[in-house]
Amino acid sequence: MSHLLKLLTGPEDIGRSRWFWATFVAVCVFLFVYPFWLSEFEATNNAYYLLNVPIALGLALLWGYCGILSFGQVAYFGVAGYVYGIVAGNMIGNAAGPIVGSLCGLAICALTAAIFGYFVFYGRVQNWIVPILTLVLTLLFETFLGQTAGYQWRVGNVQLGGYNGMTGIPAFQIGQFVVTGYSFYYYVLIIVVIGYLSLRLLVNSQYGKVMLALREDPIRTELLGYDIRARQLVVFVIAAVLAGISGLLYVQWGNYITPSQVGLLQASLPVIWVAVGGRESLLAVLLSTCARNWLNYTLSSEGYQYALIIIGALLVAVMLFFPDGIIVTLARELPKRGWRALVGLHKGKAG
Amino acid sequence: MTDPILRTEGLTKNFDGVVATNDVSISVPRGELRCIIGPNGAGKSTLFSLLCGMHRADAGRVLLKGEDVTRLLAFRRVRRGIGLTFQTNRAFHRLSVRQNLNAVLQIMRADRPADADERYRFALDRFGLDPDSEMLAKELPHHRLQWLEIAMVLAAGPDVILLDEPTAGMSSDETLQTGTVLKHLNSSGLTIVVVEHDVAFVRDVAQRSTVMHQGPVLAEGTVDEITGHADVRRIYLGQA
Repeated sequence: MSHLLKLLTGPEDIGRSRWFWATFVAVCVFLFVYPFWLSEFEATNNAYYLLNVPIALGLALLWGYCGILSFGQVAYFGVAGYVYGIVAGNMIGNAAGPIVGSLCGLAICALTAAIFGYFVFYGRVQNWIVPILTLVLTLLFETFLGQTAGYQWRVGNVQLGGYNGMTGIPAFQIGQFVVTGYSFYYYVLIIVVIGYLSLRLLVNSQYGKVMLALREDPIRTELLGYDIRARQLVVFVIAAVLAGISGLLYVQWGNYITPSQVGLLQASLPVIWVAVGGRESLLAVLLSTCARNWLNYTLSSEGYQYALIIIGALLVAVMLFFPDGIIVTLARELPKRGWRALVGLHKGKAG
Repeated sequence: MTDPILRTEGLTKNFDGVVATNDVSISVPRGELRCIIGPNGAGKSTLFSLLCGMHRADAGRVLLKGEDVTRLLAFRRVRRGIGLTFQTNRAFHRLSVRQNLNAVLQIMRADRPADADERYRFALDRFGLDPDSEMLAKELPHHRLQWLEIAMVLAAGPDVILLDEPTAGMSSDETLQTGTVLKHLNSSGLTIVVVEHDVAFVRDVAQRSTVMHQGPVLAEGTVDEITGHADVRRIYLGQA
């Protein structure tokens, strides 16, 4: 137990002090309590801000901690979503359908990531090519899904639907209990908290320490005796499964999915969430993903047509002044320099 | 003479038609401190990359503790007991000293030498490296960065280490200190092969030296034998 606590408070993420953990617990308690003051609709919206956290944390692990940038995370998001839709959609009436669908979605995610990753990493594809390959994978998947409008693209009772998307995807269900509204919010919240804490354990474990070495210099790492291909593959599959979890949550939230969910715009979003918060910190990525999704949702639902442009401008500003990510830079520099140094942060950044 | 811990037979490597090493056959007995010298372009660093598996040889064999490892990947060779530092320092510069050293400790070879931990701790102590230090490696002075990489290699518990110009850029005091540590490590049974230009350093530490010149081995022997070798004087030292 003390070993777990030591790992949890280890040095490979920001936020290690007692104050941090006290705040963390307080925020968790608040998040569990405050839906009592919300309508069910608002609680469901809040779940939406949170459901993208797993995909972003997976990318932080892959890119920030292991040095592999991927634009393919949404492909795994889509794989899990579509597989869930097909399996659970064909098991409507069977209470086990959503659980079986979820497991199948994640299993296919892991399998496809393992096959793709095997060729990439065991083929020793250079690091700078991986983002291109993963982007190609994503666009191929989108193109394939886009041409599935015909009646022949039917799996059992479920129509893939081309660009109209797959509709009527069942909500998650445990036994006879259908997870929607308030319960869906708690379901997502629990997954996010467990996911974050698990990844924090991972990055502070010995495995995580080798991931950092891999990020810095794969050849040096191999010459310390590590099979870097296997390690990169394992992290790639973990990140894909996390993306898959977001995909599952998304289809269980909205009950539909379209090929545009795995398109170019969507492929770039996780990269932005991760970069803005600071890819080398799980906590920063968690916060920036929630904030950015909240901002986008709020701006869009308030009727601002230019939501994406406003967010884009904010991103450019953040990347110009905080290239290591705004939260990571603040966490690193504020204790040293205080608030007055805020304007000069980008000049003094480390690395 | 004891059995060689590291041996090559006719090791040859071309890069786009340029011969980097040509028919190199060397044999390093267990427990020896061997220096490899030669002018720039002699193929010394290429030889190291072939020994540790970063490159595959076009012809020839590498034998580590009698086992043919020519076709083994680099990490498998490391697990069989070889370690290497690079000519250009490749400690993880953006990570702290602690993170650099922790990145190695997971490799606990089943057959690592009994005194591997002792050697590692000795090196940390003599190099003045604190394994818990949060100082970034890139903030270390040059010589300590070189020492950090040597310590990282020792942490893996190797039987033989290959050091590519470990004292490049060091002051004479730092070079001397490096030599003292290497000699102590060697006296504990660790086999060390060093590529080096500094003749004073070679004279200080080497039991035997191998001279390479544009591919093949030109001469081999003690420093006195080498410096007395007519071809070496002519080619390497520029004397008639």
